[in-house]
This record gives sequence, structure tokens and C-alpha cells, in this order.
Amino acid sequence: MTQRAGRKSAIPPAEVEGLKGNLAMTSIPDLLQFLNASGKTGQLLLEKHGDRPEGRTYFSAGALVHATAGPAIGMEALVEMCGWDRGSFAFYDNVLSPKASISMPVQQALMEAIRVLDERRREEARPARQDSERSHRMAKSTRTSTDVLEDFLKVPGVLSAVIVGRDGFVIESAGGSSTVNIEDLGAALANAINGVEEMGSELQVSKFQDLFVEYGRAVIMCRPAGDAIIVVVAPDASKLGIIRHKVKPLVDELSQIL
Amino acid sequence: MTVMRDQVVKSLVQVEVKANEDGLMPGFNVLVNQLPTSFWNTVAERFMAIAPPDRKADMEKALVNCAYECGYHTGYGIVSSPEFQSVVMPMVTEGAKDVLRGAFAVFTAWGWAKSGVVQVRDGERMVIRAVDYYEADSGGSGLRAYMVRGVSAAFMELAYAEPYPNGMNTFSCEQTLGREVGDPHGEFVITKK
Repeated sequence: MTQRAGRKSAIPPAEVEGLKGNLAMTSIPDLLQFLNASGKTGQLLLEKHGDRPEGRTYFSAGALVHATAGPAIGMEALVEMCGWDRGSFAFYDNVLSPKASISMPVQQALMEAIRVLDERRREEARPARQDSERSHRMAKSTRTSTDVLEDFLKVPGVLSAVIVGRDGFVIESAGGSSTVNIEDLGAALANAINGVEEMGSELQVSKFQDLFVEYGRAVIMCRPAGDAIIVVVAPDASKLGIIRHKVKPLVDELSQIL
Repeated sequence: MTVMRDQVVKSLVQVEVKANEDGLMPGFNVLVNQLPTSFWNTVAERFMAIAPPDRKADMEKALVNCAYECGYHTGYGIVSSPEFQSVVMPMVTEGAKDVLRGAFAVFTAWGWAKSGVVQVRDGERMVIRAVDYYEADSGGSGLRAYMVRGVSAAFMELAYAEPYPNGMNTFSCEQTLGREVGDPHGEFVITKK
């Protein structure tokens, strides 16, 4: 006889000859599906470890007809029990249900119960997640431009990343080749961006948002960030799509810093 | 169009810098000297070394203030010089922000500090980064780019404070990073007092 904290267990293992076990070995949805597939009639008694009351489900020729979990009845009880992952169970053959509170097939009832359970868990986790997102944002805000530039180099296909002022001053760079004169590159890029912006101004269109220059297989991508321009050099233009996608949040982060 | 730094530097390094018999740099109408940077580093090091512990902060302020006074008047000489007017001003399209870009390009061209503008919030805040400056080679402890600090605050005042000579003591500069303490560059944040 299982005795715990002054409360007598609902499941007397020694007296049960049929199906019994521990929820650590299987899940409640699996159990219910098994009883459904076996066409069983009887009562499945579940005992969750802890303070919660036990649950009961009743089957009639494999159909789930009734469920209780403490004060909860029907689908509400099923939702409650689907959230249990510890405890014990025992099936009592040929015990008839005292009433009918579930009228849908087992699969459908389980899917609905799990959907409701997931929704509740998301709701419960939301404040914690918001706190976590807030602290992540705070952590982000403490990052320096050097940290962010290092992340550019983690994007597959990126050879180097440079922050250039509008006047061509190379604010910072990461990666790349030691044979490249980074100051000349900054000056050339600033002159090119100036030309592009003048063209936009002449055409009376918005300020430039993206500039891609392809050299054979290589590509240089430029994006404005605050008062500066972020320049990404990639030796393989075929990866441009994924690079654009991956660097976007990093450019946004640099815009906040700059 | 904005100020193109490389064009400013290339133009200004061709200007003949020769003091006249009064010690004046005719182009900028300011006093000039040709002492090595190690001299100025030694001056700062010795002043800091002789200051008692409870006066070191005051000494630091005094050193920054020397550079600030010099930077304010020299800066005005620079931005009102014929060279600046002919080389930089035609490229100025963003007002004071561009004047500052031009001023730091001149600062670089004369070899005081290879520095530039990272961020300008009009009339409020400016961030300067210096990748090479002679004070990075000075002895001592802590952040000690007194000259860059003083001059950066002065340039901000010339751009955004009351017109020369009434705009002094409007901005202050804090050094947040320094090559002299092992950072990859020096960083200077100028804000309103």
C-alpha cells in the first residue's frame, strides 16, 4: 500500500491484477489511446504525485465517456490530467461509468485537451518570457559595436564587416584581408554612397536603403545605420539572400548604438 | 553630398605650414610650435606625477582645459581660414554636422589625432573615435587623452554653442575608451554641461 504524507493512495497496487504502472513510463494520452484501441470497458484511476487529487476516466467499449479530476469534470478534467507527467495509474476492468461527460472521439478529445493545455502554458509563461525578452534587450543594449561586428562574421558567407562614417571615416571593422587598405575602402565607399544619394536626390526618391555591388562572384552590401554605413563583404554572391536575412537584426542593433 | 574626409586630408597636407617670425601659422592665424609629441606627453606626465593624490583630478581638469582653450581658438582659426572655406565648405550640406566632420578631418590631416565623428545629435551629443593619437603613447595610468578631450569639446562648441568667442563652457567631454589603457581605440563623448 502506498502511503504518503498522511493521505491514503487511491491505487492499491497489491489488489490490482490488471493494467497498472507509473506515469514516468508512459503518458496519459498514450494510455487513453491504448485503452481506446483495445476496446476496453472500465475505469482508469490516475494519481498525480503531489497535492492534486486523483483523476478518473471511464471507457465503454473503447470510447471515452467520462472524466473527473478533483472538482473538474469532462473536458476540463481531461485537460487537467494531460498536464500530469508524474504519478501512477491502474485500470479496473468492467467498472461502469456513473455518467457521461465526454461525447467526442478519444483522438479528438485528446487533441483538444492538449491544445487548451498548450494555450494555458503559453499564457502562464508570458510574463516570464516578457521579463526574459526585456533582459535580453537590456543585454543587447550593453553590447558594443565591436560585439555586434563580431556577430557579422558568424553569418555564413560574410568575409568582413566595416562601419564607415558618411565622410569615409572608418569607425570600426572586423574580418577581411590584411592586404586591403581599409581607409581607402572607407573613402571609396563614402564617395560611392554620396553619388548614390545625389542620384536619389535628383530623382526625388527616398534616401538609399540598400546598395549591392557585384564583382564577379563577390558582392559588397551597404546599408545605412544611424549616421554611418554598414558595409558587408561576401566572396560568394549566391549567399546574398541568407546574408541579407541574417544581418538585418545586426544592422538594426548597430543603428541603435550609432 | 557631405564632407569627404579623404579629399580634405589630401588637400590640407599640401598646404605649406610655415610659422612666420611672430610664431604664427598664417593660414589659421594661430600660434604654432614644432615641438615633438613626446614633449607634450612628458609635460602631462610630470604634471600628473607631481600632483598630490587629492589634487590629481584637478590637475587632469587643468590639462584638459589647456587643450580646450587652445582647441577653441585654433578651431575657430581653422574653420574661418581660407583653406577650410575653399576645401571643406563647398562639401557642407548638413550644416554643423558637416563642419564637425571637416574639422576632425583637419585634425587628422595635421597629425594631432587620427579621429572622426561616429555620431552627432544636433546640439546635444557627439561621439568621436580616435584610432591613433599621440597621447596613447604617454606614460601614467588611466584614460589620459587630455588633448583630444579638450579639443573635441571645443569643436562641438564652435559648431553648436553661441558664436565665437561667446560659446565657451557649453559642452564637456568624457573619455570612455583609450588605447593607452588597452582598448582598440579612444572614444570621446561630448555632451552639454
